[in-house]
Amino acid sequence: MGTVFSFAVRDPSPAVDEALREAVARLHAIDALFSPYREESELSRVARGELALADADPELAEVLERCREVETETDGWFTACPGGRLDPSGWVKGWAVNEACALLCRAGSTEHCVNGGGDIQSVGGPWRIGIADPARPRKLAAVLAGRDLVVATSGTAERGAHVVNPHSGEAATDLLSLTLVTNGPGRLARTDAWATAVFAMGPERGLAWAERQPDLEALAILPDGTRLATNGFLRFAG
Amino acid sequence: MRRAIVTTTATAAGVVLLLSLKPHGSASAAGAPVISSGSGSSSGTAASTGGQPNGTASSPATGSSSGSAGSTGSTAPTAGSSGSSASGAKSGTFTGQAADTRYGPVQVQLVVSGGKISNVNVLQYPNESQRDININSYALPTLNQEVLSQQNAQIDMVSGATYTSNGYLQSLQSALDSAGIK
Amino acid sequence: MATATQQRGTQARRAHASRPGGGALPVDTVARAALAAIAFGALIVIGIWWKNTLGIVGTDQWLTNAGRITGLLAGYAAPVLLLLMARIPLLEREIGSDRLARWHAMGGRYMVGLVTAHVLSVIWGYSMTDHTNVVGEGVTMVLTFPDMVKAAIGTVLLFATGIFSARAARRKLSYDTWYYLHLATYLAIALGFEHQLTNGADLGSGIGRLFWYALYVGTAGVLGWFRLLRPYLQDRRHQLRVAEVRPEGAGTVSLFLTGRYLDELGAEAGQFFRLQFLAPGLRFAANPYSLSAPPTAEYLRFTIKDLGGHSAAVAHLKPGTKVRAEGPYGAFTARRRRSRQVLLLAAGVGITPLRALFETLPARPGELTLLYRASREEDVLFHRELVAIAQSRGARLQFLVGPRSEVGDPLEPSTLNRLVPGLARHDVFLCGPDPMMESAVAALTAAGVPRRNIHHESFSF
Repeated sequence: MGTVFSFAVRDPSPAVDEALREAVARLHAIDALFSPYREESELSRVARGELALADADPELAEVLERCREVETETDGWFTACPGGRLDPSGWVKGWAVNEACALLCRAGSTEHCVNGGGDIQSVGGPWRIGIADPARPRKLAAVLAGRDLVVATSGTAERGAHVVNPHSGEAATDLLSLTLVTNGPGRLARTDAWATAVFAMGPERGLAWAERQPDLEALAILPDGTRLATNGFLRFAG
Repeated sequence: MRRAIVTTTATAAGVVLLLSLKPHGSASAAGAPVISSGSGSSSGTAASTGGQPNGTASSPATGSSSGSAGSTGSTAPTAGSSGSSASGAKSGTFTGQAADTRYGPVQVQLVVSGGKISNVNVLQYPNESQRDININSYALPTLNQEVLSQQNAQIDMVSGATYTSNGYLQSLQSALDSAGIK
Repeated sequence: MATATQQRGTQARRAHASRPGGGALPVDTVARAALAAIAFGALIVIGIWWKNTLGIVGTDQWLTNAGRITGLLAGYAAPVLLLLMARIPLLEREIGSDRLARWHAMGGRYMVGLVTAHVLSVIWGYSMTDHTNVVGEGVTMVLTFPDMVKAAIGTVLLFATGIFSARAARRKLSYDTWYYLHLATYLAIALGFEHQLTNGADLGSGIGRLFWYALYVGTAGVLGWFRLLRPYLQDRRHQLRVAEVRPEGAGTVSLFLTGRYLDELGAEAGQFFRLQFLAPGLRFAANPYSLSAPPTAEYLRFTIKDLGGHSAAVAHLKPGTKVRAEGPYGAFTARRRRSRQVLLLAAGVGITPLRALFETLPARPGELTLLYRASREEDVLFHRELVAIAQSRGARLQFLVGPRSEVGDPLEPSTLNRLVPGLARHDVFLCGPDPMMESAVAALTAAGVPRRNIHHESFSF
């Protein structure tokens, strides 16, 4: 997936250490399956038509099914085929984090936090999570705090305009970054996908959409530095 | 000479009068309330957005090591929702009250039609001049220093746009990771 | 009547305006309207601040906002001051050059005060927000904020011209030197303009910004037209040249200018022009001189007393010298008049514009009186001409020549009442040295003449 995962565990134990190693292995496996950057991944092969979906790993079909659900939820603003290529990374990254957390939870950890490429699922807490300022490296735009906090950020800061407006096919540039916040275990996958969609929607529509979802808050940072957020965003502020 | 004194006094008095007629807020002003969208909840009311939602705005006083809500009454959001009534499709232009952020007032205006936000105008935000940029950079270095020096680390993780490997290395997250935050 | 055939052209066009109180606007309407417009503009400016300011929290914001208000007012005052001196004919004619100059001077002092307050409060306010000292903050602002180096230079220029315009300094400087130094204000305003838009919290966008652009661009346009383009076009059209320089005695000469389409200038008796002679040493100075006779289609007549410098050189002008004339200016005309009876009161060289009015101010026999005060017989100008005019018009003419011990003090209410029966029902046109005019106004009001019927124009601005 071309990204970096960080783990923070507050209640280490031998079982949890073991689970960490398993989680890393699991992440590699997911990468092998889903990475659009690897030619030999099953995803790439399905995309090229070399492999039928029915013959591929069932997780692939499951992921694509989830992507379709999110597509419906977001009125088409999230798609598994941005710009015409098959690329469910918007879902996969968050889901991979959730999978890692699941392994840690099974090993008995109740206080951990996993960050996959900037999208974060935490368990227990309260955890303090900063939101990077997209315009200034190493600076923060906000600080959040909460239990089981889920923070997903979509933006242009690093990879450039890689989020595409599915309706126009063009890169979405009305926002510099968009962060969705919620709480609850296992919620990062969907939240991460939503973040991609909301980013493509742009500030007005995106915030309006986020406002309509229960228990979801959003922070948008515009290219000129303006911050806009949903009504209840401050309840997560730390 | 007498005329000069009279004009000077009158001008000074006028300025003071004008200044005193404006609201003088309170601490809850910092990093205040936020946009609500046209439909659903507090329909069509617009409040305004803080330039720097609380945490960082107040952070220089990072004395306390317990991570929770530093200084501002951040649990009192939406002082600004200018209580305009009914839910459901309301149309019109709604101008929020100011958020008196530390770096200047911020005000947002929403144009709502048919229950959807059709336009958002930022009437005033702090980032307009060199000055505000200078001020912003004043507020944060303290935090950064502390993170790197492992004392009173406040942040556990940093969420940001996709980190490439290179980006990660530049990022705060890597600083945290290498500092070995608990 | 005095309307000789040559003058009929100019007179006929103004006939409708010459009846007492008719045609022309009531006195001071334009002045009041102008002041109201200025005040209204100031309210708009304050409104811009008001609209953009949502709250003021903390001492530093009190200071910064005071800085914004004073800054906005100063930035508004600058174009207003320029417009006052733009030589807009309507204002010059109805308000008068001397009054405009006085407003400009007062406004200029006020603006310097506003700029001072603005600079101090902004630096102080910012330094409080940034937790630095005032000096450091000031240096940072000037060196790092956009357009601030220019603004700082402009401010220094503004203060410098302020100092040079103070009365004490003006007494020591020649008019010309002072005039050129004062031109630096244009530069100061131009330098300060940008920082208002880039750093002005209220001018970043929206109505405020539009209003500012409109104000400054509009002012530049008005200035460009009335001070540069129009005079140039007039110059080309009228091609004024010296026709004759005629000695009048007592170190005074009458200057006759000729040119084309002179009646298009629309000059009236009592008005003045700013004359610039294209002769060695005189090329760059444009000094104000009054018409001493009503303008005709063939010539303009000015009478100039040798007071040194520019005016002395006039006596030596050669016929054929090109002249650039800006004008006509001045509100000291027959339009001001409200009553049937008119008294013209002249002292010394003040007779110059009054001679023109004496010749053409519409009046029936017996309604017009000229009192001419001079200290010595040889100081009296236009003696024969005045007598001739008085005879042909049936106007009363009285010379008050000689030291006070002989003639009495003509500026005493009782003297005036004796000399001019029914004085209180007269309109009075005054012209003379400033101290004399002040006492004359006092005497006339004491004698029962309503203040608004007393008209005078000061030429020492």
